[in-house]
Amino acid sequence: MRLPLFQCLSPRSTKEALEILDRYKGRVKIIAGGTDIINRLRQRLLSPQYAMTLKGVSDLRGIKRKKGHFLISAATTLREIVESPDIAGFAAAIAESAGLVAAPPIRNVATVGGNLLQNTRCLYYNQSELVRKAAPPCLKQGGKSCAALKGGTRCFSVYQGDLAPSLIAFDARVVLKKAGLARTIPVLDLFSRNGRHPLTIGDDEILTDIIVPIPKGAYGSSYQKLRLRSGLEYPLVSSSVFLSLSKEGVIDRARVVVGAVGPAPTVVEGAAAFLVGKRPAEADVEKAAESAFSASRPIDNLALPGSYRRKMVKVFTKRAIEGALLSLRKAGA
Amino acid sequence: MKELSVVGKSTKRVDTSAKATGEALFTADLSLPRMLVAKVKRSPHAHARILRVDTSGAERLPGVRAVVTSGDSTGEKWGVFRYTQDQAFLPSDKVRFIGEEVAAVAAVDEDTAAAALDLITVEYEELPAVFTIDEAMKPGAVLIHEHNPGNINVHVKIDVGDVGKGFAASYYVREDTFSAPEESYFQTEPYAVVAQFDNSGNLDIWMPNAGPHLKAKPLSNLLKMPLNKVRVRKITIGGAFGGRSEISPADVICALLARKARQPVKITYTREENSIATRQAHSMTTTIKTGVDREGRVLSRDITCHMDGGAYSSTGPIATSVPFLCMEQAYRMENVRYNGYRVFTNKPIRGMFRTHGRAFACGIDLQLDLIGSELGIDPVTMRLRNARQAGDYTPTRSLVPSCGMTETIEKTAEQAGWKEKWGKLPPFHGIGIGCNSVQTGFPMGIRGGSTAFIKFNEDGGATVISGVVDNGQGNENMIVQIAAEELGLLPEDIQIITADTEVTPSDPGSYSMCETFIGGNAVRLAAIDAKEKLFQVAARALEAKPGELTARDRRIFVKGEPERSIPVGRVIRMALSKGQSIAGEGSYWPKVDPRREWVENPFGQLSETFSFGTTMVEVKVDPETGLVDVLEAWASQDVGFALNPKVIEGQFEGGVTMGGQGGMLTEYHIWDGGRLLNPTQLEYRLPLAPDMPKINSIIVESNDPTGPYGAKEAGMSVAMSAAQAYVSAICNAIGAPIKEYPITPDKIVKALEEKKKKA
Amino acid sequence: MEKHRVTLRVNGEAYDLLTYPHRTLLEVLREDLHLTGAKESCGEGACGSCTVLLDGAPVRSCLLLAIEAEGREITTIEGLAAGGKLHPLQEAFVEHHAIQCGFCTPGMILTAKALLDATPEPTEEEIRRALSGNICRCTGYAKIVDAVKAASAGGRKSG
Repeated sequence: MRLPLFQCLSPRSTKEALEILDRYKGRVKIIAGGTDIINRLRQRLLSPQYAMTLKGVSDLRGIKRKKGHFLISAATTLREIVESPDIAGFAAAIAESAGLVAAPPIRNVATVGGNLLQNTRCLYYNQSELVRKAAPPCLKQGGKSCAALKGGTRCFSVYQGDLAPSLIAFDARVVLKKAGLARTIPVLDLFSRNGRHPLTIGDDEILTDIIVPIPKGAYGSSYQKLRLRSGLEYPLVSSSVFLSLSKEGVIDRARVVVGAVGPAPTVVEGAAAFLVGKRPAEADVEKAAESAFSASRPIDNLALPGSYRRKMVKVFTKRAIEGALLSLRKAGA
Repeated sequence: MKELSVVGKSTKRVDTSAKATGEALFTADLSLPRMLVAKVKRSPHAHARILRVDTSGAERLPGVRAVVTSGDSTGEKWGVFRYTQDQAFLPSDKVRFIGEEVAAVAAVDEDTAAAALDLITVEYEELPAVFTIDEAMKPGAVLIHEHNPGNINVHVKIDVGDVGKGFAASYYVREDTFSAPEESYFQTEPYAVVAQFDNSGNLDIWMPNAGPHLKAKPLSNLLKMPLNKVRVRKITIGGAFGGRSEISPADVICALLARKARQPVKITYTREENSIATRQAHSMTTTIKTGVDREGRVLSRDITCHMDGGAYSSTGPIATSVPFLCMEQAYRMENVRYNGYRVFTNKPIRGMFRTHGRAFACGIDLQLDLIGSELGIDPVTMRLRNARQAGDYTPTRSLVPSCGMTETIEKTAEQAGWKEKWGKLPPFHGIGIGCNSVQTGFPMGIRGGSTAFIKFNEDGGATVISGVVDNGQGNENMIVQIAAEELGLLPEDIQIITADTEVTPSDPGSYSMCETFIGGNAVRLAAIDAKEKLFQVAARALEAKPGELTARDRRIFVKGEPERSIPVGRVIRMALSKGQSIAGEGSYWPKVDPRREWVENPFGQLSETFSFGTTMVEVKVDPETGLVDVLEAWASQDVGFALNPKVIEGQFEGGVTMGGQGGMLTEYHIWDGGRLLNPTQLEYRLPLAPDMPKINSIIVESNDPTGPYGAKEAGMSVAMSAAQAYVSAICNAIGAPIKEYPITPDKIVKALEEKKKKA
Repeated sequence: MEKHRVTLRVNGEAYDLLTYPHRTLLEVLREDLHLTGAKESCGEGACGSCTVLLDGAPVRSCLLLAIEAEGREITTIEGLAAGGKLHPLQEAFVEHHAIQCGFCTPGMILTAKALLDATPEPTEEEIRRALSGNICRCTGYAKIVDAVKAASAGGRKSG
């Protein structure tokens, strides 16, 4: 099936890209790796007049170690993240997330920016016209009610990005630029939690960099993903955990982030209470995982029932906490 | 049997080099001069009357060369059987499933064709639709076809012996119900058609198919052309698995467009179209009541099966029967009753699928495990006590001439270490077994036989002309091996012309597991015919009797005296110089009962012989997530004789993957009414390389008396027995039965929760 | 709608093309250059049948615009056999019966080639993981793994 017709612009620098975004505001869509947007174009979920490919923009790639943080430019491929000894060493969960995306050939071109900014998904939405046009448009398509939860007026489409939960667990921030303006926000604030318009980035902005602070002291992290097979799949649920230890050997910071249960990654605030202030051996993993379960309400809009996925939030959060504790131990703590 | 030099060896296949280099051309790879691109307009409604089709906008679009609608077709209805002719391609009255073909356009490129489709306006009057068997059979439900009350398409009824008496005499009786939704074939090659008419009105047409002759006749009917003008051409085919045997609307539509445009036309299906607009497997619910004696021998069985056939009949009577027939071949039972119902719904059309009815097959075998559990008999013993034996008659009266079922059970159990493992594995580890049987074809009337020709070149090479078709399983190579063996030539001396209805004689096709038995036998007979003529000439030259001769390594020589020999090429030139051409002809018609009919008379010899197989699988279940780690598989089949062991192993390995790993763990369709929500590989989960366990292939040979070199079939049985083994192993691992398939992780978690509650 | 002028380097040769920007690399390879080894099977980058090597790395050509591939070295299956002689991987696939219907084969071989170029002696696990994005419906992958092992440095050493 052919893509819809569009004109394509190929900037050679970030500056040029920003000029194009400014000139064609609202009429141009960005192609980074293409592994998400090309499919949505083919399915006619969107049909922009212009597309702008970032493949020729060389100053948007690279992982730089700065004082106290990593600066990951947005068009860095997932493969580069996986192969970076720095990321693997300092931000394990982020490397794990990247390595669990799809399959190696996808990771060869997919970018961190593209992965982060992927649109939400739903069995009833991500379809070709052959299937979509046989029913009234759902909420996400601009219609009146949800197709998954019949008659519902809230969009439950799922954010299934693997990177975001881990970036949020590490308190990462993103730099958003448009002509003449740059702003830096926490990754969590990229998400509106509204399935119909899930991302807060403006249609005239580019995400140029991700800032990952390098935590001080001893810390550990882990990303756990539920999928039925050994590759190719978006997460059915996921959980990313970051734990750090004070000099006294007590957990002083815990971030538990659940993915793929709703339109945005969810920070499980309640989980911290069962982890912070405790020695690793005394961490109440069970209760922390239980609070992740309570905070999650997936519905039946992906391949497996929401009730099962909800149970798995607990299981995979437990495993992510245990993984983070293990990586804490390995860090010599 | 003389010592074989080519057959029985794992020789390199003749077709795979071209596939490795990308040279091999599949239908969508074809490019003809001035070829147009076509696209099909499909119904967005599951059930609706067609009021008006307006194509004027499309016809006016620059670049559009032809548009077709129902008016361009003959209006004749297609059906595999005369009594199931219910599908008009490009219907004029109503549409019966989302995706049904309503019109089509051929244009200079795909973008223009797509734009033209949008300019075709169709006015529909929506009708109520039914999407499940229950909805369809409810009294007062809308009728999808006027002449099928209750939306019942087919009712196969078989009643042998006295089921009631058998139950009364049983030591233990139990009834279980099993169900599964549809699967899809996901042949890696999506469907495509290329059609071209020449100035004399001859049609050349290419498409992936499981029997070109089975495509040609319906094309001839539906296009009102004599058969000699309908030429279904040879093409490389990317898998069939049961889904490419019948004529398809795309075939007729493409031909109609090519005829109207007077230019070649190509249609390529998207993956969505391949899933929605070709065929799917049936979803089904099967209730099985079985009574056994104290030793676990089945005395009586009563089975009721409801299958969702979708909107049209397709191969309805066959698909409704095969699950039962496989079972009655695999296991002995004196008294058995079967009521198989195929029900119409407003869903895409269902056909025959390699794992014929996982809810049926897995139900039969899991129930044997459960019965055994009640009686204190292990699953292997249950199978051994009920296994089919050679010389038996099936309940519907087919003689089983050769049968290695027991040997497959014993060998598999031994290699899998059943005795050491059964009941001794750690918690959540399980081992399971599945057994099944497959027929080598079935009565097909005038199309049931295969004929082959062989011609020679003066330098000693030969060409075999045969209607046998290769969907990727290695049938072309089989022809070469057999011909080379009989003629005493090397594989590289043999060329083949196959699967072309202008040139090759009729053959039943590959979808009913009969290419080896019927097609292979025909080639063998043709080669023997040619060889006899060669021997007549060679005998004179060698001053021997023809009966004293044998052929091998390109020479004909006197048996036991290899120095008294003459090259095959020389023999051919000798004959030619005497004005005698040498050619071979052979035909094979399987000895089946021509009076056997699926519905009217389901008795008599179904196919000349049957294959039998056993698969065992060892699994580890993660009780927290329900995810299954498949540790190892042992797949065994009585193939009669292994014409090419590595080719057969490939079938076993593919069968375990499709029937077991995919079929029982991840493959199923998700519906929103009549809309298919997972028509592509992203959400319809096919097994991947890291998912697969080590697969051990155990070939058993019962040396069938009439199969070529004793060979039977090797493509379908493992898919079925693997499905059964996966279920058996998982239920063993968790200590609880699961009767809804596939066994996705949520079902395991649920079963474990329920088990805990009961405890 | 304007066409773009683009030069694609495919299997070591440069091709000057005029093409609309919405055409994928897969379409241009197949329809304009008649290199039909790369194939469409899923239409969404999930199956690997469209795999080509881009600067030696396997990518989904159905997810790349043709114009995006300018300036890169593209290798298709047709570029593997040198001077009529099959690449060791092609030989191994034929020898080990790793090919049945053949539709996934070009993508599978190219992905395996990239693996062996980077990791000359991969373990079985590494082979399976490298091929985890290439779907085969016929073989169950068993003999594909055998073929890649045989074509690897370790396989060729032990004959």
